[in-house]
Amino acid sequence: MTAPAFLRSKPARRFLRNPGTVLGTALAVVLVVIALLAPVLAGDPLLQNLGHRLQGPSAQHWFGTDQLGRDVWSRVVWGSRISLRIGFVVVAVSLAVGGAVGMAAGMLGGFWDELLMRVTDIFLAFPALILAMAISAALGPSLGNVMIAVAAVSWPNYARLLRAQVLAVRTLDYVEASRALGAARFRQAFLHVLPNTLTPLLVQASFDIGSAILTAAGLGFIGFGAQPPTPEWGAMVSETRNFINEAPWASSAPALAILVTVLAFNLLGDGLRDVLDPRGRTRR
Amino acid sequence: MLSFLLRRLGYLIFVVWGVGFAAFFISHIVPADPAAAALGSNARPAQIEAYRHKYGLDLPAYQQYLRYMVDLFRGDLGNSLRTQRPILSDLKDFFPATFELTLGAMVFAVLFGLPFGVIAALYQDRPLDLIVRTLALVGGATPVYWLAILALELFHSRLGWLPGPGELNPYLIEPHRITGMMVVDAALAGEWQVFWSALRHLIMPAAVLGAFSTALLARMVRSAMLEVLSQDYVRTARAKGLAGRVVTFKHALRNAALPVLTVMGSLLGSLLTGAVLTETIFSWPGIGSYATSSAIGLDFPAVMGVTLVAGLAYSLINLLVDVLYAVFDPRITYA
Amino acid sequence: MARFRIAWVVLVSLAAGLLTFGSAQSAQQQTLVIGGDWTDLITLDPGVAYEFSSTPIDDNIYQRLVQFDGTDLSKVVPGLASSWDIASTADGGTTITFHLKDAKFSTGRPVTAQDVVWSFDRVIQINGPSAFLFTDVAGMKVGSTKALDDKTVQLTLPKGVNPQIILNMLTFNIGGVMDATEVQKHIDGNDYGQKWLNDHSAGSGPYMLDRWDRGSQVVLTANPEYPNPPSIKRVILRYMQESNAQRAAITSGEIDVAYNFTPDAFNQAATDPNLKTIKTDSFRMQYLGMNSGPGAPFADNRVRDAVRYAIDQQGIINDLLGGLGRPMQTIIPYGLMGADTTQYYTYDLEKAKQLMAEAGKSGGMTVEFLVATGACGGGVPCADLAAKIQSDLAKIGITTNIKQTTSAQLYTIYRQQAAQLVLAEWSPDYPDPNGNASPLADYNAKSLAWRNVWNDAEGTKLATEAATSTDPAQRKALYAQLTKYVAQNGPYAILYQPYVPIVTTAKVQGFARSAQGDVDYAAISKLP
Repeated sequence: MTAPAFLRSKPARRFLRNPGTVLGTALAVVLVVIALLAPVLAGDPLLQNLGHRLQGPSAQHWFGTDQLGRDVWSRVVWGSRISLRIGFVVVAVSLAVGGAVGMAAGMLGGFWDELLMRVTDIFLAFPALILAMAISAALGPSLGNVMIAVAAVSWPNYARLLRAQVLAVRTLDYVEASRALGAARFRQAFLHVLPNTLTPLLVQASFDIGSAILTAAGLGFIGFGAQPPTPEWGAMVSETRNFINEAPWASSAPALAILVTVLAFNLLGDGLRDVLDPRGRTRR
Repeated sequence: MLSFLLRRLGYLIFVVWGVGFAAFFISHIVPADPAAAALGSNARPAQIEAYRHKYGLDLPAYQQYLRYMVDLFRGDLGNSLRTQRPILSDLKDFFPATFELTLGAMVFAVLFGLPFGVIAALYQDRPLDLIVRTLALVGGATPVYWLAILALELFHSRLGWLPGPGELNPYLIEPHRITGMMVVDAALAGEWQVFWSALRHLIMPAAVLGAFSTALLARMVRSAMLEVLSQDYVRTARAKGLAGRVVTFKHALRNAALPVLTVMGSLLGSLLTGAVLTETIFSWPGIGSYATSSAIGLDFPAVMGVTLVAGLAYSLINLLVDVLYAVFDPRITYA
Repeated sequence: MARFRIAWVVLVSLAAGLLTFGSAQSAQQQTLVIGGDWTDLITLDPGVAYEFSSTPIDDNIYQRLVQFDGTDLSKVVPGLASSWDIASTADGGTTITFHLKDAKFSTGRPVTAQDVVWSFDRVIQINGPSAFLFTDVAGMKVGSTKALDDKTVQLTLPKGVNPQIILNMLTFNIGGVMDATEVQKHIDGNDYGQKWLNDHSAGSGPYMLDRWDRGSQVVLTANPEYPNPPSIKRVILRYMQESNAQRAAITSGEIDVAYNFTPDAFNQAATDPNLKTIKTDSFRMQYLGMNSGPGAPFADNRVRDAVRYAIDQQGIINDLLGGLGRPMQTIIPYGLMGADTTQYYTYDLEKAKQLMAEAGKSGGMTVEFLVATGACGGGVPCADLAAKIQSDLAKIGITTNIKQTTSAQLYTIYRQQAAQLVLAEWSPDYPDPNGNASPLADYNAKSLAWRNVWNDAEGTKLATEAATSTDPAQRKALYAQLTKYVAQNGPYAILYQPYVPIVTTAKVQGFARSAQGDVDYAAISKLP
């Protein structure tokens, strides 16, 4: 049996010892399962029933109903698919773009390094929500454009991270050795640099899934996000915010869903850092 | 140090130019007509044409860009398409309120984030630590707009502890505008009633905006403290018999200042983003509300003005943080 | 030690501040605070202002030659002009001669005929967003307005322009008279004083512009030269976009009047003894625009009819609007001459499905549905209204893909005749049936009929005839024909005519809002 052996390994034990990490992992897994099982767990998120507007939580409607009499539970459950997809896609795109830019800057050095990093600075200096707002306004509000907008503000972190890693790793002996042996630059990059940078990337990615979901929901809140009646969490909070008196559940349920999801990925990020980077244990 | 500063200044100019260029580029791929936006839904086609011509919107993009850059070098950010006012005076009107709110949020973050972080570190793994860490985690994951809505509902509508939206009780006369920051201007004018009202109005939005920063700061301070506390010289100091408290504060806190500085710098830069959402809900007359209504109204020059100022502020703050780094930490020198 | 002393001084001053809080009470009774979404405010220059928010403010600052009788928009009564005569000219046009009353600007100067001429010509020279009312609708040019003497103004109108329509139009802020001498002192380059008027005013109305803190508040103070000093000395329009913020602020007494309650909050406020709710009229109408051009999804009138049968108007009004709207299916709403309140369509899904089948669309169709962000008529979020319509139309096989954009983007697409289905709001430029009939029925007016590519000879003919007719009875008859025709053949499914919900505290007396949005602040008072 390999599983118990794995669980007895040092990093795994460290992982399991931290209740926060376990909680984060469990939450993340549950969220993914909920998203996958949405058709089973929930009803039609778009079905309106004006006769049953703004009803409180009941056996029939676990989280009550919203201003169009739609079942809030169903909307939150289906919304998890959207938010998780945004989180994963944004991080994947940021990783690809930022990673490529950072690695190119680190490997090429000199002028190209300067240029690429200054371009990265430009994106870092751009006020995130305004950039996202502008992109969303330019391309028209849609889920795909939300992802582009959020990725546009999150890739610079990866560029910086990867460049720093490349520079650090390049000076290591075995890379020097392989260079002396005449290995091509890009082979070097893939063979040596990439594996060594996986650890901080994984940690960063985990945190970024959370923050991407948060930013996307913020865009949804100000109306630059998913199209109605899509059950996107930020848009749901926005649409129901004026009913905070009559139906607090309608805005609280999606807001709490955002909170729990972001929390889960932050905890996961914390845990991953502890496990994968023991020296940095106390850093945050 | 000097050559470092010069080089960084060069970067800064490049970055701000890039931010402006990107903003211009994005503005011009928007498939909507700013003239139509400015003239309203009932405008006649001939009127729209006249307007486009008057503001040079019918010129090719590169000519518009050249015009913009020439004006920019003369310190002119152009006129708002919506209000026809110079962007610069709009920014002067809207920026101080955001600055005040941001400062309030920073004060809140330091006031709570710092001690919470220290406490958590001192009581590592004990209930107090756990509470602080949980709060910090939740604070870092809560959507700011929801927090704003809840706070307004709870502390204003239900409990009545704090005043509602806006900067000041409307029955009070605003102080003479000096800095544009209501609290500061009231204090300068010696109008304490106004000062008090303005301060009370500031508390809730500042706390809401500062919540995320507070959470992050508490986490950073905690881990920075822990790292320092475990280092040899602190242990030595303790062993030498200095009182525990003195050790903690003299050594640990000073050394924890660096990461704290870093976080504060980056937070200050990113607070503007939070301000967009917070200002809307609290009817705060700041740059966030201005940016939103400008973006909605396709007021390109206004959006570009905001972006330029925000990009400049962000770059300057980063530069400042780097310089302060050198001041705080003698090990760092800039060649 | 010194530091301690400073702290004490601050503390004592703070306490003193708290104690003197009571002295603000007396000023409160003379101050009216209105919370609303004023983000559409661009300028208060009456010659340029053309937004929902600016007109009602300007009307309290600048007097016009003529005005409506309070909230009764069917009667034009004297404003700055005590009387006027209408006469025909040799070439078939008309002149209107106005005789001015004695009145003073807030600057202390008397209102003269020269001021009127300068104000009117200025509108045409600036050629701002509202100038087409003078140039296109009234056919005015620089020189059309003449001062016969200090107290007499003559306006010459070309042939085909109905002077009754022009009198109605002159009640609008575009007809506001400003102190020419004062404004001319502040001209900067070629701007006709526009920049100065951003923060100042030069009118003869009961109020003047005191300060305008962008994004925060507009403050008006009583005009000391106005003959009847109003009870309210200071009117503050506070920027509050969020309905929730207004609700919180009015409950705690930080504002006296709220403009943007949601229907649910409004109905709840109606049960609160500390608040008053007023359903005020409006000429707005919420409608669906259907692209009727050749090859467009709604080219076949049977499909448009199907949509009109499939919309659950009662459900929208009762549930979504909480009663803050009236069923309306024609293009001339309640309150205008020739209003047609007939219900041509009832909610009938069977009929709608049958019409779809007759049009060969029984297999269903898919259209893009343009919707603006923000609130629609009656305070319901457009997204909610769109979702409701989407579900209504789905029942007859029309799949709508909602595309929600800022209204600026929506109108860009709409203006290019490129919208398939659009949810929008319309309001006439001036309170005359022609303000709706011409843009909505006449393709050549390049307005709504044009945007929806509804080029219909009958619609154009009826609208033109009604506009030029000077016989009220004949006009009425023509409009009756037109409204029925457009209701049944036009490119619209009109959803409802919204009320504008206003909430005030119980202390506010005499608040009235006309269907045009005008509020006479001078008629308001506050109980202690």
